[in-house]
Amino acid sequence: MNCEVCHLKELEVEHFEIREILRYSNSGDIYFFKHENESVDLVQCGDSELEKKIEEKIEQFIGWVEKHPNKKSQICLSFYEVKSKQATWFVNKTERLYWEQWYINLNVTQPPKAHSSKYQHPKVIVDPGESALEERSVRRTALEVSLREVLFQIIKFVNEKKDHIPSVPNHGGVSFPYEITIPSSSDSSFGMDMFKRMLQTGHPTMLS
Amino acid sequence: MALHSPQFGSGRFEQIISQFFLKSLHIILDSRIPSLRPHAHSGELASISRVRKSDKWFSLALGDRPTTLENLNFWHRNVMDPMIIDVILVHERPTYSAVDNLYPDSGSGASSETIIERWVVQYESLKTMVPQLGEGPTSYKKTYKKSIILLRSLYSTMRLLPAYRIFRKLSSSSQTYNFDLIYKVSSFSEPLLRIEEEAMKQYDFVPVEALPGRLCISVTYCPSLFGFSLEPSTLLPPQIITDYVGSPATDPLKVFPSAEKGSCATSFPSRGIQSPLSMSFERPHSWTSGLHRAAPFRQNQPLSGSPPTYRTPPMPCDYPSSPPDIYGHRTQNYRQPTHQKGMSFDEYQLSPPFSPSPSPSPSPSPSPPTYFSGGNPLQTRLRTESAPVSIPLPMTGRSSRYLTPNSSDPYRHSLPPMSPKSTKLDLFSQESPSGSRSFRKTDVSRAAELHCGSTNLHSGQKVVSVIKDSRDDSGRFSGLVSSSGSPRIGFSRSSSRLSFQDDFDDGDFSCPFAVDDVDMSNSRNRYLCFTPICPLFRVLDGKEALETTSQVFPMARKSQDAAVGYLVQMLRTAPPLRQDHGCYSSQSSKTEFEGEVGADSGFFMPRKTEDALEELRSYREMKNLLLSQSGTRVASEEQAKSTAFVG
Repeated sequence: MNCEVCHLKELEVEHFEIREILRYSNSGDIYFFKHENESVDLVQCGDSELEKKIEEKIEQFIGWVEKHPNKKSQICLSFYEVKSKQATWFVNKTERLYWEQWYINLNVTQPPKAHSSKYQHPKVIVDPGESALEERSVRRTALEVSLREVLFQIIKFVNEKKDHIPSVPNHGGVSFPYEITIPSSSDSSFGMDMFKRMLQTGHPTMLS
Repeated sequence: MALHSPQFGSGRFEQIISQFFLKSLHIILDSRIPSLRPHAHSGELASISRVRKSDKWFSLALGDRPTTLENLNFWHRNVMDPMIIDVILVHERPTYSAVDNLYPDSGSGASSETIIERWVVQYESLKTMVPQLGEGPTSYKKTYKKSIILLRSLYSTMRLLPAYRIFRKLSSSSQTYNFDLIYKVSSFSEPLLRIEEEAMKQYDFVPVEALPGRLCISVTYCPSLFGFSLEPSTLLPPQIITDYVGSPATDPLKVFPSAEKGSCATSFPSRGIQSPLSMSFERPHSWTSGLHRAAPFRQNQPLSGSPPTYRTPPMPCDYPSSPPDIYGHRTQNYRQPTHQKGMSFDEYQLSPPFSPSPSPSPSPSPSPPTYFSGGNPLQTRLRTESAPVSIPLPMTGRSSRYLTPNSSDPYRHSLPPMSPKSTKLDLFSQESPSGSRSFRKTDVSRAAELHCGSTNLHSGQKVVSVIKDSRDDSGRFSGLVSSSGSPRIGFSRSSSRLSFQDDFDDGDFSCPFAVDDVDMSNSRNRYLCFTPICPLFRVLDGKEALETTSQVFPMARKSQDAAVGYLVQMLRTAPPLRQDHGCYSSQSSKTEFEGEVGADSGFFMPRKTEDALEELRSYREMKNLLLSQSGTRVASEEQAKSTAFVG
């Protein structure tokens, strides 16, 4: 089974906008949230447990961002199938076969500080409040446009590639098994996460 | 198309395809037409607990389907026809043209419709594709799975396009706007204009294979809606009318109080044009909402082989120009006859005769103003032909004010409170046109009787107007009496029946004489001729009596209770009676009468049987006299009516 990977366009967001992250899954779980100015309306998933799990991951991601300001970050949403491997003496392994991965790229920026006084013209009275608001409004508009582009990108990807989607599992859930990882969450634990993943499954690109 | 063949899952494909059409239509309309949404979901999926069986298709629960969708099930019959859904934005168009300047009252702009989205859902048959026999049982499952993804993509896309923002604004109940979204579903639609097409973008969803064809969805949409003036409406918010006075359709004879500015058409506040202060009415009428709910006047595009256009009732925020135009025009037409006829009654503020239906309908259903306008000339003619005479108001202080025999008298509300019986008469007079006309006819005949009776009297002589008592027959209680000794009128009442204010519940309106309203302030020329046997008569000037008699028929509506009460008051404060051998008046009986009058509400007069019989005889004579005279009067009245109608 092929694993379709989609790298979404990078979104430049501010720290307080991190929570407003859109996640799609082509299994039908659509996560929507309202942008602050309600310019982009989305749909919420109907699974409270799923939402709770997502919120936990978001908090984890925010924690990482706070430790690493002004760094580009990435969130990976993976869908997989559970396959049971041949049981051995010690471990009854189950195999995860990833069939789709989404990489959400974010560039978290810090809010601009007020201009220093030495750069101001003595005769020009600049109201830092108004300029900051205008700048924020411009940035918000640009984010809105980018977010729409990303959403259209997701829709286009979802529509174009459907053959790799497996059958809907019958375990009563509303979505395929998924996994949310933050590859850059910890430099020290990144390798451990990758090692764990390799033990559980093969490399996604090796799957056919 | 052989979709029912066993190799394709025995009709499963067709079922999936038909449900696909319905679900896609439901998604599109649910995200664009606010009025079709049963609840304000605001983009949320319906909870699983409320999912119906029919809503479980494609694992996308949207809630209950609007009834319009149930009517669009013709695609079940022929899935080969494409389903074209136009999302139309109804908005104001600025008045730049000379045509718009011809109608300055049309508001800030005429309504205009623009197709902002065109969705095309169709099942394309691929003739070149050969169905795979081996994939029969599982092919429809794949189709179904991919359809799920496609519809979810459609659902998401609906919320990303610019039109969704308009939908969100309209869905908000806190504010009204000067635009609206309507839709049109058809299997064939006119191609978009080249200009429109160039300004629009197109997006095609990846088709889903549904052997032997495929399901396709495409959209042509406006990428930007900044060119449209989409603003909140400045109309008055809906409010409850606490002093509702009714519409002419239901209450045609009711007259509304005149405004200081005189007669003028009721204005409907156009969007952004007229402020509440400039309105002639201080309060809105209940029928204004219907106008604002009227659909724009647009010719529906011809549909070939498609169901009729489903146009939702517009929000009460739009469609400013045409309804007020029509209303204003109709109001003018409505008022012209009244002015031309030169009606004598006071100017009154007309309620809008345009009473549209509150139900969703493409065009308002106005109340028929022709009736009202036809009714007024009738009344006018009756009055002019019958020498309309003003009847003085009782106890109102308007010495120079006379009531016109008009059921739509603006001052009728200022009269003393009516008795139940009188109220019944009033209702009878305000019924449907036929009812009121029949009433007037009856009253005219009765007025003719009275008039005939009065004309037989000597002119200049004081006559007595008779109080109409609906309980009493003409034999018992009627007649005119002359102070000069012409036919006497006896009045006999038992004590139990003298309390007019008590029992007005029974009996039909059989008395031909109407209650007369007397202006107490002008009482110096009036005095009563009271006898123990005719206590309810009062004396008027001859001219007034002649005028009064012709006005009898509308007096039936006046409160008999009030009139009787007034007479009682008069009796109590009346000056000494004139000595008349025709009247049963003597000091002793008068004293007794006065004593009796002051005692109770009735008239208790001791008398003998002989007197009562004599009084009865005099009543009979008077009755015969009046009947004979009324016959000639009715004939003359009828003749006058016929000539008036012809004129």
